Amino acid sequence: MMDPRAWRRFRRNRGAIVGLALVGLVNAVAWIGPAFAPFDPSEQLEGGTDPQTGAPVPPGTHLAGRGTLWLGADEVGRDELSRLLAGTRISLLVAFGATLLAVALGVLIGILAGYAGGPTDTVAMRSIDLLQSLPFLLVAIALNRVIDRPDLWVLCLVMGGLSWTTLARVMRAKTLQVRELEYVQAARALGAPAARLLLRHVLPNAIQPALVLGTTLVAQMIIFESAMSYLGLGVRPPTPSLGSMLHSGQQWLTHQPVLVLAPSALIVATVFGFNLLGEGLRDVLDPKD
Amino acid sequence: MCSIRRTDAGLAKRLRASLLLGALVGAGCPSPPQGPRWQGAGSPTPRRGGTLVFHHESDVRGFDPHTSFDELSNMGIKLLFEGLLDYDADGHLVPRLAEAMPEVSDDGLTYTFRLREGIRFASGRPVTAEDVRWSLERMLHPRVGSPGLTFYTNLEGLDAYRDGRAQHIAGIRVIDERTVAFRLRAPDQTFLYAMAMTFANVVPRENVERWGAEVARHPVGTGPYVLESWEPGVRVVFRRNEHYWRPGRPYPDRQIFELNLSREPAFLRFLNGELDIIHRQSPADYLYLKRSPAWRPYWVQRPSIDLWGYAMNCELPPFDNVHVRRAVAHAIDRQRWARTRLYRIRPTGQPLPPGLLGYRPDLPHTQRFDLEIARREMALAGYTLRDPDGDGIPEPVLTVEMWIGEGPTGQVYGELVQSDLRRIGITVQLKPVSFPVYLRESGKPRTVQSLMTGWSQDFPDPADFLDILFHSRAIHDHDSENRAFYRNPELDALLDEARVERDRERRGRLYERAASIVARDAPWAFTFNSMKLDAWQPYVRDYRPHPVWDNYYAELWLDLPRRRIARQVGGGGTALAWLGWPWSLP
Repeated sequence: MMDPRAWRRFRRNRGAIVGLALVGLVNAVAWIGPAFAPFDPSEQLEGGTDPQTGAPVPPGTHLAGRGTLWLGADEVGRDELSRLLAGTRISLLVAFGATLLAVALGVLIGILAGYAGGPTDTVAMRSIDLLQSLPFLLVAIALNRVIDRPDLWVLCLVMGGLSWTTLARVMRAKTLQVRELEYVQAARALGAPAARLLLRHVLPNAIQPALVLGTTLVAQMIIFESAMSYLGLGVRPPTPSLGSMLHSGQQWLTHQPVLVLAPSALIVATVFGFNLLGEGLRDVLDPKD
Repeated sequence: MCSIRRTDAGLAKRLRASLLLGALVGAGCPSPPQGPRWQGAGSPTPRRGGTLVFHHESDVRGFDPHTSFDELSNMGIKLLFEGLLDYDADGHLVPRLAEAMPEVSDDGLTYTFRLREGIRFASGRPVTAEDVRWSLERMLHPRVGSPGLTFYTNLEGLDAYRDGRAQHIAGIRVIDERTVAFRLRAPDQTFLYAMAMTFANVVPRENVERWGAEVARHPVGTGPYVLESWEPGVRVVFRRNEHYWRPGRPYPDRQIFELNLSREPAFLRFLNGELDIIHRQSPADYLYLKRSPAWRPYWVQRPSIDLWGYAMNCELPPFDNVHVRRAVAHAIDRQRWARTRLYRIRPTGQPLPPGLLGYRPDLPHTQRFDLEIARREMALAGYTLRDPDGDGIPEPVLTVEMWIGEGPTGQVYGELVQSDLRRIGITVQLKPVSFPVYLRESGKPRTVQSLMTGWSQDFPDPADFLDILFHSRAIHDHDSENRAFYRNPELDALLDEARVERDRERRGRLYERAASIVARDAPWAFTFNSMKLDAWQPYVRDYRPHPVWDNYYAELWLDLPRRRIARQVGGGGTALAWLGWPWSLP
């Protein structure tokens, strides 16, 4: 399914390599990092706030017998570094979960609509029009309010359930194109059942755009997760996520900038990385575009 | 990158040079001023003139003293309206539109007020006793639906009036042009406080009838200012009331109320000299003010008369068990809370804030942090706490839901409760809700299991805390203020007795007993009373935070605000100002 020349093209694409490196880094932070976290990310440390002023202690503060807070503490005295590691994992988890759901929905609906045509196609396409005409964040907030359970999987469900539309359109277009190819026609003429046609002949041809769009979708999901958490609609406290850390850090911007800069840097790295990677993949997999 | 490789070396050098220059300019940019940008001129006596600019974080719906009941509208209402009574700068009741404090009959039932001479509405029409009656009757009319109703239920004939059986409230009698008498059904030590609330402010009938439902946007009163312009959601401008009765007052010609200005940008504008007074700061800005010696003379931090706590629903398990509630009340580490909140809160373990009648620092049954007691109470409630790994965190035995306000502050309090109650085996799940949802749902019985809540005084009397928050009368099917749904007949009787008691000392003792009962039964874990920091520019003079009204700016004066000169420079002036010029001005 992948062109052997693709990897060579990928290696020559500097953006894609940078993207891959960033994605690798962020994933390392998220999946390996928490194992090395110096503190429990939810523990409000006795020495985490200054006894005189009550302000969070600055980066590099050493707590006797406990270890060093390399990025300082947050406003209730929790270790910022440990929270950052745990928060990255949560943010990525939500982003991946939502993306998987969106890709699954998008591929399924797109291929079915494209292959079946007729009323199925019309209904699917008009629902996509409808969904795309709604402002994403507003609907997400409203849905979140209706479901009213600030949990990880709810967040995935809401975000994934709202962002499959672009992918479905692309998949449909691709399916329409593939459907008319001679070997697919031939397979049909030989009496292959629809399921086999779709799985063996249509899907492999349409999977490349799904890969590309899915990668950039992760970046979008990171942003949406941050936005939702920033609005207080994300994961349940005290579970950290990048967005919620930004949310509570903003009031400290002038006093302890690291509380804003650290989660921001990770958000930027993640989004930038996945976008670069996605674009690189597109260049590599589909040089015609 | 490619483009640079293709250009000649000279251009690259120039490019680098300009980057360097940029860095230099960046370094040369003024860091925020270390102190106030403008000083006062040093006038020894109050001067008239100038414009005061203040702000609030939200938008204001309107200025109707009879229906608005929030801090924000109140800031404008106190500039526009007045009532018979008010408070002086020390929080004592003083006559305002009334000539003197009212005559009270021997049975404590009749209060007779006499209006000052020569008082006019901003429209120019003289105020009469009839206006006083009409205003109160309007406020108490069912159609108006004023939240102030509860404070006046003791007026004679109120029910007949509200049911439509009487044209007027029998308990309000106009005796002559300037005299009006109020008669109560039973003696009530809070009646005069009620008369000082904005609900009892006097409004001109013709204005209300002219604007109808829109009257909140077209306020006319007897206050020191009148509404000049209103840019919805942006700012409201108040201009001096030419008919104001106090000679020479108010001092500033105008007051500008900037709306929807959240605290961080407001603070920057304050540092920049564009706001004259601020009343709320983010933690970082608060620390900046507290640490800056240059600002030290221009702020004051003062305790608010309020009460905050973790309210537990006494009708819902597990909080229907008094031992669980007591365990919670003793598990809250109030000192740690205060430290986390930068000492902007004062820990407390009882229902009355300091300064009120009935407050005693050594009140029996005061709640205090003591894990020993907390764990014992958990055992009494039937929960055995086991801590196999010995880290001080026992295995969870209970899970409760706690409602918190949306936003970082609500979350911090939620997380503080979470980490405190973990130590007595209670897992707290936080549920952030918006303020309207919080108000609506927590007022319904058997709905919200526990919540962070607070109460700020309407008037400086213990009845305003105990009656409202813990009397069973404050439990309804909707809009209960007793959000812990705590019922205790013994307490109810004590409070009812105290409300009518005319002997101050005896009354104080009754409230002490009541407060002690509430602390013991712990419908709330009482946590803190808050503090408020007001900061102002050096040229704002004679500003003293008012003990009852938050953000009350009617009495101050402006000492030749130099910034007005700077403003006249226009756009160029702003640019110069940005480069640091004004600080070199004398």
